[in-house]
Amino acid sequence: MGKRSGAKKKDKKNKVILPPELPPEVDDEEVYVSEEDIDFYGRHRFHTFDQKSIDRYVGRTAGHDEAEVERLYEERNKRKATDASRRPQEEDDDLEVDPVDALPIKTLQGELVYNKAKKARYEENTGSMKSKAQENGADAKQSIKKEPTGKSKNKKGDDKVKNTQSQTEVPKGKLHSDVLEEVKEELSAEELFEKKKAQLAELGMAMLEDPELNIRSLNDMLSISNDKDQKVVKLGLMSLLAVFKDIIPSYRIRQLTEKELAVEVSKEVKKTRYYEYTLLRCYKTYLQKLISLEKQRHFYPVAVRCMCALLDTAPHFNFRESLLASVVKNLSSSDDVVRKMCCETIRSIFINEGKHRGEATIEAVRLIADHVKLNDCQLHPDSIEVFLSLRFDEDLGEHETEEQKVKPKKNKRWQNQEAPKQLPVSDKKKTRRELISKAREEVDADLRAVSFTLDPKERKGIQRETLSALFETYFRILKHTMSTSNLRSKANIVSPGASHPLLAPCLEGLGKFSHLIDLDFMGELISCLKKLSGYSDRQDETPHDNTLSVSERMQCCIVAFKVWRSNLEALNVDLQDFFVQLYNLILEYRPDRDRGEVLADALKTLLWEGRQQDMLRAAAFIKRLATFALSFGSAEAIAALITLKHLLQKNSKCRNMLENDSGGGSLSSLVAKYNPEAKDPYLSGALASVLWELSLLEKHYDISVSSMASNILSMANLNPTQNPVPILNVNPLEAYRDLSIERELSKPASKALSLNLKKKRRGKEFVVLSPDVLQKADCSVDKDKLEEKLQNHFAVLRGISENERLRAELNHTLSSINMYKEYKKQKKNTKSKIVRKKVARV
Amino acid sequence: MAKKLGKKARKFARKNLQSAAKRNRKIRNQFNHRRPRRGGSGAREDGDEDLLQRVDDASTMATNDAADALISGLEFPEDDVEIDADLSDSDGYLSEDPGCPYYSDGEDGDDVKDCIMQDGLDKQNDDMNLDIKKQKKKLKKLLDKDPEFANFLEKWQAELESYRSKEDSDEEDGMDAMDDDDDSNDGNYPNAKILTSKTISEWCQLVSKEPKSPALRNLLNAFRDACRYGVHSDSPSMQRFQNTRVFYQIITFVLSESDNLFRALLEIPDDANKGRIMNLKNSKKWQTVDPLLKSYLRSSLNLLSQLTDNKILAFVLTRLRVSAVLFSAYPSTASTLLKILFRLWASGDQSLSLSAFLMIREVASLLPDCLDLCLIKAYNTYLASTKLVNDRNTKHIDFLMNCLVELYSLDVQNSCERAVTSVGQLNAILRQASKTKEKEDLRKIDNWQYINCVNLWVRFLCCNYKDYNLHPLFSQVLQVLRGVAHLFPGTRYLPLRLKLAQMLNELSTCSQMFFPIPSLLFDCLEFREISQKEQTQKTKVNFLSLLKVPKNMLKSRDFQEECVLSAIQVLSAHFAQWSYHISFPEVATIPLILLKRLHEQTTIESLHRPIKRLIDQVNENKEFIERKREVVSFSPNDKAPVDSFLQEEKSSGNASFTRFYASIAENRQPKGRKT
Repeated sequence: MGKRSGAKKKDKKNKVILPPELPPEVDDEEVYVSEEDIDFYGRHRFHTFDQKSIDRYVGRTAGHDEAEVERLYEERNKRKATDASRRPQEEDDDLEVDPVDALPIKTLQGELVYNKAKKARYEENTGSMKSKAQENGADAKQSIKKEPTGKSKNKKGDDKVKNTQSQTEVPKGKLHSDVLEEVKEELSAEELFEKKKAQLAELGMAMLEDPELNIRSLNDMLSISNDKDQKVVKLGLMSLLAVFKDIIPSYRIRQLTEKELAVEVSKEVKKTRYYEYTLLRCYKTYLQKLISLEKQRHFYPVAVRCMCALLDTAPHFNFRESLLASVVKNLSSSDDVVRKMCCETIRSIFINEGKHRGEATIEAVRLIADHVKLNDCQLHPDSIEVFLSLRFDEDLGEHETEEQKVKPKKNKRWQNQEAPKQLPVSDKKKTRRELISKAREEVDADLRAVSFTLDPKERKGIQRETLSALFETYFRILKHTMSTSNLRSKANIVSPGASHPLLAPCLEGLGKFSHLIDLDFMGELISCLKKLSGYSDRQDETPHDNTLSVSERMQCCIVAFKVWRSNLEALNVDLQDFFVQLYNLILEYRPDRDRGEVLADALKTLLWEGRQQDMLRAAAFIKRLATFALSFGSAEAIAALITLKHLLQKNSKCRNMLENDSGGGSLSSLVAKYNPEAKDPYLSGALASVLWELSLLEKHYDISVSSMASNILSMANLNPTQNPVPILNVNPLEAYRDLSIERELSKPASKALSLNLKKKRRGKEFVVLSPDVLQKADCSVDKDKLEEKLQNHFAVLRGISENERLRAELNHTLSSINMYKEYKKQKKNTKSKIVRKKVARV
Repeated sequence: MAKKLGKKARKFARKNLQSAAKRNRKIRNQFNHRRPRRGGSGAREDGDEDLLQRVDDASTMATNDAADALISGLEFPEDDVEIDADLSDSDGYLSEDPGCPYYSDGEDGDDVKDCIMQDGLDKQNDDMNLDIKKQKKKLKKLLDKDPEFANFLEKWQAELESYRSKEDSDEEDGMDAMDDDDDSNDGNYPNAKILTSKTISEWCQLVSKEPKSPALRNLLNAFRDACRYGVHSDSPSMQRFQNTRVFYQIITFVLSESDNLFRALLEIPDDANKGRIMNLKNSKKWQTVDPLLKSYLRSSLNLLSQLTDNKILAFVLTRLRVSAVLFSAYPSTASTLLKILFRLWASGDQSLSLSAFLMIREVASLLPDCLDLCLIKAYNTYLASTKLVNDRNTKHIDFLMNCLVELYSLDVQNSCERAVTSVGQLNAILRQASKTKEKEDLRKIDNWQYINCVNLWVRFLCCNYKDYNLHPLFSQVLQVLRGVAHLFPGTRYLPLRLKLAQMLNELSTCSQMFFPIPSLLFDCLEFREISQKEQTQKTKVNFLSLLKVPKNMLKSRDFQEECVLSAIQVLSAHFAQWSYHISFPEVATIPLILLKRLHEQTTIESLHRPIKRLIDQVNENKEFIERKREVVSFSPNDKAPVDSFLQEEKSSGNASFTRFYASIAENRQPKGRKT
């Protein structure tokens, strides 16, 4: 608003006044004219301003004379004054604001809440500029300076003064514009910065106040953000972001055809078209700017932040594609903050599909897939982890593919939706061009704004496509891991986790979406997982030359089981190998290197959730888990024990292991003696062993572990069908989490300990210090030595005191000698005085 | 005093420095004017420099602050209110009985300069003497030349004197009571008679014969003067000692005999406690002895703060220890004494700090009021002195820790509260760090103060777990140990983790609970690559004085070696504890697999033997247990027989593994501890 000169303003007002009511929003306070405005006007002359229309409006008001207009103003000011008197308190309160928040906020009631701190700063700023430009416009200065101070006091009178002054001001401003320019150059960078900031704020406020009217300000804001000062650019970007976030409509703006342009339309439509056109053009420029700035290190975070915010708020709007491409690219950024931001944005796109009806989802998934392909799977894990936020309908997998082909043609709207997926932007628009009439367009926009729901079939189509892109990515990663892990095993560079950054989230995702995997892939997938989990047909080979980390290998086992189970276990796959893998992996587990949760999850998926196990295998696992619990922390131990207990419950025959029944009785297997280092659970001979571990685990420091151990031991006395009293009814994973030290530390600290001790005073005997140490103290010092030392001590002390005394004496003497000089001087003085006196007397 | 001085200084500044201030202002103005006009580069450079400086300052301040905050975070608050009331009324000078003779011993006079010292001070003194003579001559010449100058000089000197006396009187009130009280002594002008060797021996004889003899007063006076010798170089008491022998005589006699003398005077037995003394305090007997005792105690404190030689200090402390109970009559003396004692205790000298500690312990056990103060002070002193650990002071810190445990075990009921607060603080720091995972918070744990503090409580628990129900404290400490181990994974923190494992071993031994120690040691037993080039520079890695391994050492051979050896030690301690348990074979299963793998893979020759030895020993013990348990008939669920399994063998301690562990423990540096 402030961008308009006084003269124009007058016209403007008239125009707005045209309808009987007074202009509602245009606050007089906001319209005062500053030097920049004048200057700006001087430079630009507003060639582009639609003067004709204003003139026309003015023409219509010819009936009203100036007095009438004045009267209307008076009235409004009166109302304002009462309002304003209520406002000051609020103004004082909120003085500190984040620069981003400096723009006015539209409340739910549609009122604009202004940020007064910004304003105050601005006013200060103008004040300071004034002092520089003192010679130039004393008049103008007066009028403006008065304004902030007198604002709340006598609003009415002031406004009146201003109204009249604003008209007289302008020519002066024009005259001085050249001088002002010179003055401006002398302004320091800081002041310039302040000024630009204020300008931005003002423009932004105006924009939000009435976007339709002030749409042109976007250009100005864009030009400001081309500034040389980086801070200004950043501010400009952020302000533009705030503006766009607010004014972007809830529909997609379509480009007009030539035909449409040729058709005569009403003024309203013209206005709207102009508005939309400008908005779109500015938005495009803004995005181009962001994309170009993104490459500069300095602007990188800001630009990405803007893009993320835009994508988050307006995933339906034009140019989404380029936004998405940029954001996806930054998913694997090395900058933590940026990466987090992008991940959040993509996640929110996946989660809030209502905003864009799933179109953005499929685009994003495809883009990520391409990104992975392009970078040869060497990306940050976060870029794949976002997939975990995807949602699919449960019955998706069961539908036949034919349905997808039946494209609903009857409704044009649907075709419109299909378009962005299939055609480049411009083509799509061309196809639409002939089909849609103007009226139709409006209806469409309304409809779209109202209902974001999709036809279920169509939704399914989109989801199916998304899913295929998703699994394409996952399989690509698996294949890549396979090929490189074989390569690297020769080089023998063991750096787990680093070489396959994407594998862990990929496996996690496969586990999560395992129910959606096509049955055709299943066999291949399982064999792939088997290889990855480190299984080899030759038993003697150590699993060491597999470069995958233990966690990753365990995850492979988990995924295999999940896939198998989610397909109703219909798959005819032998999963025995995975058990063997897990059996060996348990020993490879290292508490801080590998993720304990994965281990617990593996125990849960493979052993705890399963039904009856093979007896030999169950026995082997039972023995190994018991041994494992002896060497690892309490969280791992409890997970192992819970699994163990479950196995014992399901396989009642294994309960023999709880008894010291030499040789395992009739159940003894081929191997008579237990071999703890066996690689194959079937050959370990665990059934012949006794679970002595549990008796030691009863002494475990952790109360839940020890009680669990005793609970298991109590099973020995029950008959096979009975189960002991359940004490911990959780699965291994939950138990692990409950007992992990992190959880323990996050619990609130226990209340002040109360130790009630029996009063018992210990005698004088020593507790820790050994007697031979104490003896040393008693051997007293040799007498002669002591004498000598004491004498030395005395002598030193005497020497020091003697030294002090002598020093004092010496100083005294020296200063006495020095005094002699002064004495001489004094004497001379007195002498000369006497002489002078004598002279005087003479 | 400082305030007053500040006021004076300000006044002075107002009066005399106005011109300076004016000039300053002018300069600043000029500078300000000049600054913008100067080339931007210069100004900016200045600014940068300033900034750099400030950053430097800030960073040092920050580190200081952090350290300070840390101490204050762990320390117990102590209120340092000094109550000097019962002593400040007198300086310990006793009015002497004129009947007591002084002997002049001419025969001693010639050895005034008996000890010829060859240090620089004497030479300097001689030089100065010469200088004074020369200057005096010069002055005399001047005086001769101009007799009027003498008058002038006199006048000036008088002025100077009066000015000085005024200044003195100004300062007097602020002076430390301890220092200036011999000037303000009422009526009792200290005796300035010269003490001779003969006089002292005569007095000593008199006193030994009859403790109530008046010579005791003289002797104590002499002792007092001896103890303050050198504090005021111009005091007349300085002149009393012309001879080193005399000095020695007085100090040794008084220190060695006074305890007997006072006990004889007060008629108290050797095992008197505080109550007894307090009862005595109102008796008439006490009234007569009180000033003497006071003087003696005060003088000895003076002596303690004067002396610098560790040997003499230790001697004085041993002498004073027998009369520790006498301090109970004067609480402020006791607190001053403790202050000195803790300073000496923390000092590095072994015998001195031991004798200081014994004295502290004596005081703490005899005077229950002082116990609390002792606990606080000892704890804070310990924390302050464990801030830095290096190869040299590990032993000393260990000693200090043991001393502290001794002190805290005197009255477990009482000290448990302190322990609970301290462990609570440790826990809070840990929680904070685990919540934020920020470097700054982690730094609070990854330092010696924290670890030593944890170690202290672990040891405290170990000593008292059997006799008291300390379980809540136990579980808290345990949580801290586990939390710290969890927060600092990785190879770099191996020394820290080894320490934690050791602590867990100690706890396990005392509580007979099972701790899965191996889980902390896996990192040590993992085979790692060794960089080849490093061989040239031999750096000794000592895990005792390390928490975090420097990065450049991670791949060094020494580090690997030390790692494995320390792990073997800790592991064998763990095995030794359970070597008679029926489940020993299972306990050893997983560590054995790792050890075997390491033995195959390691390229360090020197490690082969110790690893192999451990493997063999463990295997032997494993077979032994397996053999034994094959013949038993009970099941794991039968608790009683499981517990009594092999208990006989255990008490005889003849199994090979026990012997093996003993030999390993011997190889470690002797720790000076029981158990």
